[in-house]
Amino acid sequence: MKQLVLAFKRLLWFIPTVVGLIVIVFIISRIIPADPVALVAGETATPAQVEVLRAKLGLDKPLPIQLLKYFQGLLQGDMGRSLYTTRAISADLLHRLPATIELTLAAMLVTIVLGIPLGVISAIRRNSWLDHVLRVITVSGLAIASFWLGIMLQLLFAMRLGALPLAGRMAGFPPDDITGMYTLDALLTGELGIFAVAASHLTLPALTLAFPALATVVRFTRAGVLDVAQSNFVLYERAMGFPAPVIVWKYVLRNALISTVTQIGLLFGILLAGTVVIETVFDWPGIGNYAVNSIIMSDYNAIMGFTIWAGVIFIVVNLAVDIVQTFIDPRETA
Amino acid sequence: MKHVQLSLPKALTRFTQRGIVVVLAIATTLALAAGCKSKPSTPAKFVFANTSNYDTMDPHQAFDVGRVAVRLNLYDGLYRWHDNPPKIEPWLAESYTVSPDGLTWTFKLKQGSKFHDGSEVTADDVVYSTERIFGVGKGAASLFTRMLSPGSTKAVDKYTVQFTLSKPSAIFLSIVPEVHVVNSKLVKEHVKDGDWGAAWLSENDAGSGSYMLTKYDPAVGWTATRFADHFYGWGDKFIPEIEFRTVSEINTRVLGMINGDYHGTDGYLPQDQVKRLKETETVKVLEQESMRIFMFQLHNQRAPTSDVHVRRAISYAFDYDGFIKNILGGSAERNPVPIPNNMWGVPKDVTGYTYDLEKAKAELAMAKSKPKRSLTIGVLTGYAQTEQAATLLQNGLRQIGVESKIESFPWPVIVGNMSKPETSPDISIYWISTYYADPNNWIGEMFHSGGWGTFKSSSFYKNPKVDDLLDKALKTTNQEERAAAYADAARIVYNDAGGVWVYNTKWFGPFAKNVEGMRFSPVGEAQEIRWMYFQ
Amino acid sequence: MKTSLFVLRKLMEDRVAFLGLLLILGLVFCAVFAPWLATYPGDVWDLHPVNRLLPPDGQFLFGTDRMGSDIYSRILFGARITILVAVIAVGASLIIGVPIGLVAGYYHNWFSDLLMRVSDIFLAVPQVVLAIAIAQTLGPSLPNVILALSVTYWPWFTRLVYAETRSLQNEIFIESSIALGASPWRVIVYHILPNVSSPIIVRTSIGMGFTILTAATLGFLGLGAPPPTPEWGRMISESREYLPQAWWYAAAPGMAIFLVVMGFNLLGDGLRDILDPRIRRGQKDDG
Repeated sequence: MKQLVLAFKRLLWFIPTVVGLIVIVFIISRIIPADPVALVAGETATPAQVEVLRAKLGLDKPLPIQLLKYFQGLLQGDMGRSLYTTRAISADLLHRLPATIELTLAAMLVTIVLGIPLGVISAIRRNSWLDHVLRVITVSGLAIASFWLGIMLQLLFAMRLGALPLAGRMAGFPPDDITGMYTLDALLTGELGIFAVAASHLTLPALTLAFPALATVVRFTRAGVLDVAQSNFVLYERAMGFPAPVIVWKYVLRNALISTVTQIGLLFGILLAGTVVIETVFDWPGIGNYAVNSIIMSDYNAIMGFTIWAGVIFIVVNLAVDIVQTFIDPRETA
Repeated sequence: MKHVQLSLPKALTRFTQRGIVVVLAIATTLALAAGCKSKPSTPAKFVFANTSNYDTMDPHQAFDVGRVAVRLNLYDGLYRWHDNPPKIEPWLAESYTVSPDGLTWTFKLKQGSKFHDGSEVTADDVVYSTERIFGVGKGAASLFTRMLSPGSTKAVDKYTVQFTLSKPSAIFLSIVPEVHVVNSKLVKEHVKDGDWGAAWLSENDAGSGSYMLTKYDPAVGWTATRFADHFYGWGDKFIPEIEFRTVSEINTRVLGMINGDYHGTDGYLPQDQVKRLKETETVKVLEQESMRIFMFQLHNQRAPTSDVHVRRAISYAFDYDGFIKNILGGSAERNPVPIPNNMWGVPKDVTGYTYDLEKAKAELAMAKSKPKRSLTIGVLTGYAQTEQAATLLQNGLRQIGVESKIESFPWPVIVGNMSKPETSPDISIYWISTYYADPNNWIGEMFHSGGWGTFKSSSFYKNPKVDDLLDKALKTTNQEERAAAYADAARIVYNDAGGVWVYNTKWFGPFAKNVEGMRFSPVGEAQEIRWMYFQ
Repeated sequence: MKTSLFVLRKLMEDRVAFLGLLLILGLVFCAVFAPWLATYPGDVWDLHPVNRLLPPDGQFLFGTDRMGSDIYSRILFGARITILVAVIAVGASLIIGVPIGLVAGYYHNWFSDLLMRVSDIFLAVPQVVLAIAIAQTLGPSLPNVILALSVTYWPWFTRLVYAETRSLQNEIFIESSIALGASPWRVIVYHILPNVSSPIIVRTSIGMGFTILTAATLGFLGLGAPPPTPEWGRMISESREYLPQAWWYAAAPGMAIFLVVMGFNLLGDGLRDILDPRIRRGQKDDG
């Protein structure tokens, strides 16, 4: 019951948080000294022509009214249109979403498949050379500038060795659209050739994206395992003479489950933030790339759309994690 | 308890074993994927790697070189620019006449030209397209409004269109190619809330051009297939399918050319990369003198650059040779006036300012308004060359005791800033490319005081004599008189050091070795694919 | 004083953390003595187009860049910018974030809820995204980068301090001082703040590294200080046009970022081990 109340209270905060986010981003995006209307109007436009276009786009109204109009549209599922392409922002975002999800999932897969076992090993072999090597690697993961790592990988694997594609998502147009995730679509349609091409494009950006998150997961898992290993409960069983590996593996299972759930939020944040830069480096046509371009072009509605999207996903994931956590691990609510 | 403890490790071992299998499987696939790189075979499709995004397919929303391929390949205009030096040739129209007062322009259309849906291109479509340019209000609209008002274009008969200008304009014919004719019936079917079909046309095709749009994805690019019924007809050699893909990273474009993934890409790559391409067996690099002036706009209305001596000092403080020979690897040619060297009307007797710090100091000594504050140099975010020029200029200025700071602006920001004298930087660095091949595209729009507020005239220059000459050049259609007027105007602006003009671009167009037939023109830069074929 | 000596001694014992400290000292050393260490101290400004893009050799230790300037010298001067940005941005975040966290943690009312929600809003979007948006809005310059980083980083401190304060409130010594009639201000400053200082210090060290990375990202995206500022992120982005030939142009500044951030992270880790009693206890048990 207590958990339900808490979950409900958190849900209640969801709306004001999102509204607050929109207001903040709105203010940020509108005080730009840039004049995107001038760009849209064309390079040879005179100031009078720019003003006409501004009125047409509704950007001559006072800010509060623009904000109100925006909320009005949002309630009807309308995020406005891009100033440049006049396409609906929601359509643009949806179109790019699969690319970002594919990249994020691939990175997540790498992170979890490698991270949790490595974390466990590193905890079991505490202070061994393996642990030290892993420590150095994980600390580097958080110290390396991801855009630089990406460029170095490109330099080595794409430019020097020519083993992997330098950037992009696919050579040419994608396979038939089912989920929009090329690797998955190719597998679903049984096109192994296309799968190979898509996967080879995915490799470098996914690895680059996964590296810092991997570091977090390894450290987290290691700490979690050690924590359990030092609990009185385990000490007792150890004293009873159970072999250490048995104990560790036994508790690892539950522990890994809890930490994985709580980490998804954390992981998701790291990966999502990462996509913004990684997609730019690898020319990956996803939402992060879209965001950077929109920001550079001062495309108000697109910036708003992206931020709201990122914010809502982020908040929802955290919310879900919080709620799940209250049920899995009741201690936390105390 | 004991029972559970015993079974768990086993389950786990199995679990880890499966995990290892999965990891191995992934690794193998990746290795395989890395291994099987497609070998270039005889291509059916021409793939072009484009720097800019194709964020719209609407021919009336974009007026830049970055998206010119859409307009040249999917659409047709009444006239079209071709070759270098650029010549304007009849395209959908077969001829035109102009009234003696220079106001009424009548174009005769060729009969039997077809849109992609098979319907005929008529005068009504031309009228609709002209009105649509004003209605959408983007791209070339601002250029047309200076001489043409909405509602003043009419279809005399099925094949005759008449434009009635509000004032005579010698450049009207030069910009007529920008009236890309859309299928009015088709577009009208997709109009929503009076948007002139903008939402629909931004991702669909309503043209009559040499190719028909088959696929479009704003994040990827577009493909098109040959339109066999195109009015111009086809020879026996052509490229049946084309693809224009957005590849924003220079290195990806270059690597793609080397690997044979692309058959063409942009012609303004850094020289170091051009060198790499030239050394590649399967790539050839065409070289053409283009018309794209690189320059520093100086603010003529605000101290200290309002002082002619300060402006001359700046003109003497830039290391032209170091920039063109070393930084650009000799890939451009010095261009001393605001008209490209290879354009008519350029005064051939002007040799240009040189890098001479002594002269710069002497000019500075004569200046009434000494530069005490730090000058702002505006450069374009993402255009490394503007930054490099700025640092070199800054270095020269420091040596004559003038401080400056470089501010980097994305294009939309600097365009906004340049619209008012108060917010325009003291010095702004960028290019002016060929929107239409006429001196007016450069000196006319840059130094006529009537143009203040547009990005081309961010020097806010005002000289009644120059205004008169430029007006005169627009009123008459006599080429010799026009050339003389532009040359005179250029000499005056040069003497006033109204700006610093650095170079005229050379174009180094990389193509796959087996592609032939390219036709380069400064307007459009060889992106009209209908002339090309694979050997 | 005594505690700091203890911490220092402990740091010396932890070789890895000590390495971190050395790296940071190295950075400070480079920044302070840049004019003397640099082989071409003038190359922050001076350009030699003739020498452009030369590979590393005895004359140019890390090669030259697109304008013919010595990369080694520019990296040394870049250390100054790195320190400046990180110290001011993290300092400002501390000044904003810690008091808010203390107040929100101490009081249990709608206002503290509101404060935490506001910080949640900032945490709701990846920091780098908000920082990019703000830096772009204000225009690319060093002060604006610092501002963008400060405005987006403070909630991390707020959240940390908030959580620590809440958990401290149940401790006997806090409850007793409240019972003895100490004013809230007194309790916060004299009893809570000293006890949350350890996690703040750890977070500050990690935050320095994090901020340097974000600042470099902004520079890389062209939203940082304008040229000819020898900012490391900007140098990497400049180099991309000249790859793969001019590999040194990208490698050297990236390595510099890596070493410095590594320094702060290692130090932060070490400090955590020393200062955080929960983990220290764990280590002892294991050893």
